[in-house]
Amino acid sequence: MLQPINVSMESLNLITLAPMLIAIAGGLIILILDLINKNLHKSLYVMLTILILVIDFGATLGLNVNVRGFFDVMLIDGVSIVSQLLIIVASIIFTPLALTSKRFHEYSYPEFFALFLFMVAGFQFMVASDNLILIFVGLETASLSLYTLIALHNRSNSYEAAVKYFTMGALAAAFFAMGSAVIYALTGSIELYRVAEVLAVRMGETGLMIAIFGSSVLLLVAFAFKLSLFPFHTWAPDVYEGASAPLAGYMSVVPKVAAFVVSIRIFGMYIDLGVEWVRVVILVLAVLTMTLSNLMALVQEDVKRMLAYSSISHAGFIIAALALDTTEGTTAIFFYYGLFMFTNLGAFTMLWMSRHKSRRFNARFDHPYEKFAGFIKIMPMGAVIMAIFMLSLAGVPPFSIFWGKIYVMQAAVNSGYVWLAIVMGLNSAIAAYYYLKLVVYMFLKDPVKDVDTVYYNLSKPLMVVVGFAAVATIAAIFYVQPLVSYIYYMISASGY
Amino acid sequence: MENILSILVFFPAIAGLLGFVVDKDSARAYGITVAAIEFLLSVWLWFSFDTANAGMQFVELIPIIPDFGISYYLGVDGISLFIILMATLMTLIGMMSMSITENIKNMIITLLFLEMTMVGVFVALDAIIFYLFWELSLVPMLYIIGAWGGPLRVYAAVKFFLYTFTGSLIMLVGMLFVAYVYHNLTGVWSFAITDWYALVLPVNYQLWLFAAFFVGFAIKVPMFPFHTWLPYAHGQAPTIGSVILAAVLLKMGTYGFVRFSLPMFPDASVLSIMPIAALSIIMIIYTAMVAYAQKDMKQVIAYSSVSHMGIIMLGIFAMNAEGISGSVFQMLSHGIVSGALFMLVGVIYDRRHTKLMSEFGGLASVMPKYAVIFGIMLMASVGLPLTIGFVGEFLVLLGFYQVSPVLTVLAGTSIIIGAIYMLSVYKSSFFGPVTNEENKSLKDLNSKETWSLVPLVLIVVWLGVYPKPILAPIDNSVKAMLTFMDEKAITQEAKDMIKVPESTNGREVK
Repeated sequence: MLQPINVSMESLNLITLAPMLIAIAGGLIILILDLINKNLHKSLYVMLTILILVIDFGATLGLNVNVRGFFDVMLIDGVSIVSQLLIIVASIIFTPLALTSKRFHEYSYPEFFALFLFMVAGFQFMVASDNLILIFVGLETASLSLYTLIALHNRSNSYEAAVKYFTMGALAAAFFAMGSAVIYALTGSIELYRVAEVLAVRMGETGLMIAIFGSSVLLLVAFAFKLSLFPFHTWAPDVYEGASAPLAGYMSVVPKVAAFVVSIRIFGMYIDLGVEWVRVVILVLAVLTMTLSNLMALVQEDVKRMLAYSSISHAGFIIAALALDTTEGTTAIFFYYGLFMFTNLGAFTMLWMSRHKSRRFNARFDHPYEKFAGFIKIMPMGAVIMAIFMLSLAGVPPFSIFWGKIYVMQAAVNSGYVWLAIVMGLNSAIAAYYYLKLVVYMFLKDPVKDVDTVYYNLSKPLMVVVGFAAVATIAAIFYVQPLVSYIYYMISASGY
Repeated sequence: MENILSILVFFPAIAGLLGFVVDKDSARAYGITVAAIEFLLSVWLWFSFDTANAGMQFVELIPIIPDFGISYYLGVDGISLFIILMATLMTLIGMMSMSITENIKNMIITLLFLEMTMVGVFVALDAIIFYLFWELSLVPMLYIIGAWGGPLRVYAAVKFFLYTFTGSLIMLVGMLFVAYVYHNLTGVWSFAITDWYALVLPVNYQLWLFAAFFVGFAIKVPMFPFHTWLPYAHGQAPTIGSVILAAVLLKMGTYGFVRFSLPMFPDASVLSIMPIAALSIIMIIYTAMVAYAQKDMKQVIAYSSVSHMGIIMLGIFAMNAEGISGSVFQMLSHGIVSGALFMLVGVIYDRRHTKLMSEFGGLASVMPKYAVIFGIMLMASVGLPLTIGFVGEFLVLLGFYQVSPVLTVLAGTSIIIGAIYMLSVYKSSFFGPVTNEENKSLKDLNSKETWSLVPLVLIVVWLGVYPKPILAPIDNSVKAMLTFMDEKAITQEAKDMIKVPESTNGREVK
């Protein structure tokens, strides 16, 4: 006879689900509004999305650290709170970019905003669990929404980008599923904390080591796709190029933060268990990724592709911090992305401002370097801000990313990886060249033609976003201390 | 005014921001006024400076990122004080003599930002704050060379930026490692130089760290073989860019050696004396010979500048009070003299739009005032007694003689080669008949140019005859540093090499 299942509400601890539920409910509200009245303006949806995300932010901020909920599937630790906050803040900055002065057709669909909120919820699920199934569900929810968002951009190469991303994403998902299956077969559990317990007891068995090897390879491939690490990065520049500039900027931050969290949970566990080769592989991937993508970025003719390669290189830079497996290293990941987010979104917003419907400079590219030639004469303030973003990305002090860089390098030195810090330094030097190239075009060359092309798409909301990003980039020195101590506290509280 | 250093650092930057609002016709007057106020502030700093005190003065210490151990930490001693004075003076004079008319407002604003970074480098006592100003100084210079320079300006500007940027990143790794070692020993993070001074590092650590800092500083100096960016930068830069570059920015490198490398790594410094001396002597002789082969007047001065930087390097690594004080003094004199020479070449370039020596001849009869000032500066550059150039060079050679008489003789040949190329420039351009028809109607110095050059002539002669007011405080701080280095050195070799002055207060300089 079946026993009736008895679950008390307290043990479910539904509050842990609140942030995601807010985002999902928000998406549904937008869809319902559209059902009721078809003629609402996109600005309404934009503002609603922002408001919902603000509530989401508040709900996340109010979560208690280190609680589990919903049949212990949800895990609210410091890592998940910090990463959720990053995801939400990036999403809040991203949303107003829909308010351009020219009409871009994806933003006229309310579905865009609903999907966007579902995507945020997906990423939140992904980071707020150590259950491989829920991670997978979150990952797929977010990814499928993101593919659609890319494809909504009404361009033939955005379909291409979406399909490419989808194919690669499906492949990565398959690798993830298989890797998780191996872990399950090995330990009889899909919850990472239990997996860790089982593995710790059985370390050293040959069969187990082989199985760990198999599962780690599969999972590494899956996350290397998601994080666009060498040699699985080839999709990234094409997808970034096809996607609209805001989405490209978004993709360079948010999915990576989410993927980093899962990587920390899985690979951090392996490294903790003493599987040294995982660390080696990650370090090798990190060095190759930052070096090779830097070299590729050097030869790009299009600013957006350059920024795509630069984001790959920054991801390579950061994945090295994961291999350190120290509290500092883990803090560095979030701290770096916290700083990188503003600068990179700012830079992509500058590209978005200059976007037109037809390609006026180049048959192939939307944002060739020539477009920005003499920008200082056309729009001095814009050129200065863009230059600040570029210098920040290059790691020139006192702009934000410099502080991230020294934190990462310091973490590397502390763990005894001085050579890694030197490789990072040399890579920053290579990177300086291509960032500088844009600065040189903007400041030292004469405008080519059609001077209005560079701020064709400009509007007040975009100016606000750029201004905000610029202030965050310039004034970093004043908030680095609170930011880093908050993140460090949260990370160490959750035991990483 | 306890916070005079902060005022000195940020006044030009704030003025630069406000400069965006100033009308472009008044931009020049605005710039000169601001630079003059800044110079007066630095003079005031000199007068409030206690010359008997060899330590850091006007110290400001505010923690900004305690978790990283980074604080806003400023201070000056006898070594940095006069470099700051020289920097503010050369900025003022450079601005006064400037002949640029295109985009003048941008130039003024850029120069004011550059001034902030220059002063910042010389007052920073926190390694990260030092690094911050050090790196930031590249940006305005990139713009100055790239926007107002010659035909290859973009190439020269980017080369300048990338070379120095790469070097300083290696230096940054070195800084992070020192902080790490400090953390290991004390349990606290700190980037304060004065904290780092207290570290006694094992010799192998010292050698690696010395190498890391060396890359950053040597590229900036620029030491042979890292000097290749400099002729391009000078060749393409506008006059004002060359003046600031030669007078102040190169000094950041040599200053870095004095401020970081010597006191932090005394043993490694002693071990590096011979390699560095070898490089410096190659630099002195080789670039002097290259200077002789130049056809372009500005390139002669650019290469002679590298050659003189070699003398400064040699003095720093003499490890005695004469050598180091002489080097610091030579930094000032080189700043003033090479800055003035670049300005003088700029004068003739403005009139004729060429710097080729073959275009000139007999200028002395057409432009007598110009010829006199050029002659004085040239003598100072060669190191003629009673000019500012003699004092530093003499002290450096005197200092290094105690290390190696043979190498000192080799280095001394620079005076001879220097005299050869400088006098041949002077002979071919200024003496003889006026060969070129166009030169017959050249105007002599106008009042703007005279007013900017005459003060420099006065300084050159004054400090050449009576260097004591400047040399004594420098010597004071240098001696304190040497005593400290000797106490800190761990190898016997270093202890033998570092010459501790018998008494650190009030002793006359030889």
